[in-house]
Amino acid sequence: MIPFTVIGGFLGAGKTTLLNRLLRETVDRRFAVLVNDFGALDIDGRLVAEHGGDTVALANGCLCCTIGDSLVTTLLGLLERPERFDHIVVEASGVADPGRIADLAGLEPRLERDGVIVMVDAAEVRERAADGRLTDTVERQIRAADLLVLNKVDIASDLEATRHWLCQQVTAPIFEACHASVPLDLLFGLDRHGVTADVAPSSNFASWSYTWREPVPRKALMDLLRDARQGVLRAKGIVRFDDAPDRRFTVHLVGRRLDVRDEGPWGDMPDSRLVLLGLRPMLGCLQRE
Amino acid sequence: MSTIVYSARRILTMNPSQPFATHVAVRDGRILGAGSLDQLKGWGKFDLDERFRDKVILPGFVEGHSHAFEGGVWKFPYVGYFDRISPEGKRFKGLKSIEEVVAALAAHEKTLAKDVSLLAWGFDPIYFGGRRMDRSDLDKVSMDRPVVIIHSNFHVANANSLVLAKAKITRDTNVHGIVKDAAGEPTGELQEMAAKYLAYRAAGVELSAILSDKEAVWRFAKVAQLSGVTTATDLHNDLPESTVEGYLHATNSAEFPIRILPAFAAGSVAPADGVPRLQALMKKNNERLRFQLVKIVTDGSIQGLSARMRWPGYYDGTPNGVWNIGPDDIDRILLAYHKAGFQVHIHTNGDEASEVGIEAVERALIAAPRWDHRHTLQHAQMADAGQFRRMKALGMCANLFANHLFYWGDIHYAKTLGPERAERMDACGTALATGVPFAIHCDAPVTPIGPLFTAWCAVNRLTASGRTLGEREKISVADALRAITLGAAYTLKLDEELGSIDVGKRADFAILDDDPLQVAPEKLKDVGVWGTVLGGKVFEAPKA
Repeated sequence: MIPFTVIGGFLGAGKTTLLNRLLRETVDRRFAVLVNDFGALDIDGRLVAEHGGDTVALANGCLCCTIGDSLVTTLLGLLERPERFDHIVVEASGVADPGRIADLAGLEPRLERDGVIVMVDAAEVRERAADGRLTDTVERQIRAADLLVLNKVDIASDLEATRHWLCQQVTAPIFEACHASVPLDLLFGLDRHGVTADVAPSSNFASWSYTWREPVPRKALMDLLRDARQGVLRAKGIVRFDDAPDRRFTVHLVGRRLDVRDEGPWGDMPDSRLVLLGLRPMLGCLQRE
Repeated sequence: MSTIVYSARRILTMNPSQPFATHVAVRDGRILGAGSLDQLKGWGKFDLDERFRDKVILPGFVEGHSHAFEGGVWKFPYVGYFDRISPEGKRFKGLKSIEEVVAALAAHEKTLAKDVSLLAWGFDPIYFGGRRMDRSDLDKVSMDRPVVIIHSNFHVANANSLVLAKAKITRDTNVHGIVKDAAGEPTGELQEMAAKYLAYRAAGVELSAILSDKEAVWRFAKVAQLSGVTTATDLHNDLPESTVEGYLHATNSAEFPIRILPAFAAGSVAPADGVPRLQALMKKNNERLRFQLVKIVTDGSIQGLSARMRWPGYYDGTPNGVWNIGPDDIDRILLAYHKAGFQVHIHTNGDEASEVGIEAVERALIAAPRWDHRHTLQHAQMADAGQFRRMKALGMCANLFANHLFYWGDIHYAKTLGPERAERMDACGTALATGVPFAIHCDAPVTPIGPLFTAWCAVNRLTASGRTLGEREKISVADALRAITLGAAYTLKLDEELGSIDVGKRADFAILDDDPLQVAPEKLKDVGVWGTVLGGKVFEAPKA
């Protein structure tokens, strides 16, 4: 079964920027990406192996397809292609409910729902949602998310209020970003949070994301993650520790299993980032610390 | 340069300076003149053709909102509740119970080759007293081949157990659109994406693809011609090369019985690519084929619970519908085509969608003032008097979905809109009173193509159960006849070329057995159509 991811979010929230990153930065996975409009994608001409009208094959093994009039046609056409892909990513239109598109994985035995990523424009989302013609469209998208990317935090005013507004609506992890800069491995293997059909998330859980510009004290973080009383159930992130500031570590916590791995040099990433999922009251406390 | 003069019992011209005539002269495919035989003699030598002397001649009907998809669906058996006439002129009797549907499908199943899926269309369970079809019904048709029945709204389908099993759909599948019974088992009813996906899987190809093959456009033309139509739209098409070729091929044949206007689906490509593409297509126009229309689809449908409605929304509390193209994109796309000089047809069912459409036109006009754009709201089913006044002030047209009054009026009254808004839906009376140029339409294949039936709906406003829906929105037979001829031509910017019987216009006629102004208004839909004349060529409708 092929993992199936949907990237949703309102017009201008950064879906295309995220897809550009995905296509440019991926090394070890062959993605098939279904987009609304090629033109918006910033595909480096040198990376194009083959241009076939509705598809562009990239040298790194990835493939882009335009959706055209029908997602169903495009998707089934893709599944009939001889080459195999490791992952299929669909860009939802700016007004679509990405949760409904993710439902396709429930209809197609060859697909496995990997998650719904919803991009939110931190600078504009509340204004959009206040427009009565768009309120329900924006809220449906947000509620469908398994991971929310709160984008453009660098240009947003009143970020605190936007965070609060989002937290009230979703239990999904919220990752804060500028220019859709999200570590790729955060995007996949998501837990189910989005609301679709009769699956409703429990409201006892909450999540939060952390960003540190400076190296992170290793001991403090490890203590936090190891201490069950803190209520952290799951963590995922890329961290620069104070005792090895030039190295890049991935941190995974699933249940009580904590996995910290040295992935090589830190590189040019600006910040450490960590997404936590836990019991709601506990995380509320963490946030204040 | 031969001239033929046709005599008739009466000719209704739609030309206000000479509303009635007894003879019409045709030369080179155009109308040389109408009047009495004496008045026409001065044009010189002619042949008198008296085959229509007992008939009544009207301008050929113009269907401003239909889809060539109508020609595609006839590839499959029709299992709807109402009688429907095929392109060959054969009347398919409506099926009045689920048992009748199953029996008809079982008979059809025996005619199919091995390994072929069974698809049927037109099913509408709302008239079966609440009983829904489930998979056990369709399992009686076949356990061994996929069976999928598409509902008349094209958004819902029923499947047999085999289709569900192949897609591994069980009680544990939590997907929107998989309907389950009280015990939690999937019933086989599928909605929206689920319907589309599984119908595709069962058929091995998407419906819209099977339905728009080369013969489809011919079948569409024939079914339109049967009802007196000489000009019809295919009001939403991506216009891929293969479709364009099919159109060109068909319309270059002298046997092709209608003029067709495909509307370019503006949402399918970025306007920067779409505008030059449509401009290039216009160079291929011929007498029977016109590329010139642009279509933007804003919301869904009222009965599909996907219309964008203003407060207070659905009568039964159903949440508001969905945007197909959101307000920002509507503005952007409309402005691009508006600036390029195109006329844009905007699909709006709910009143919030109409509001967004009207405001988009207003903003486009502020950005790029333009006269006689005739941007048209298509459907505009819930538009109220205030919205009609705005449309008038902005120079817009409306094409109202009168057939809805009959087919879904009862549902709108009881569930979706409630009595008050149902009574004023598809407000032809208000359009007339506010002076908004308007047409009325069928949206085939959603409802059958048949302008006289559509006119009957606007005149009588009767629902399927016999309720009169909005006495005050009724219009006269004369106004309704204008709406299906010159009125519709105006909304397509073809009113100087066709739509009335007047000197110099195309010789496009509907030939009727009776005079629609003489029959009782409630009998308007029963007036027989003998056939049509297109550009002077006579097309007799086949009789079943």
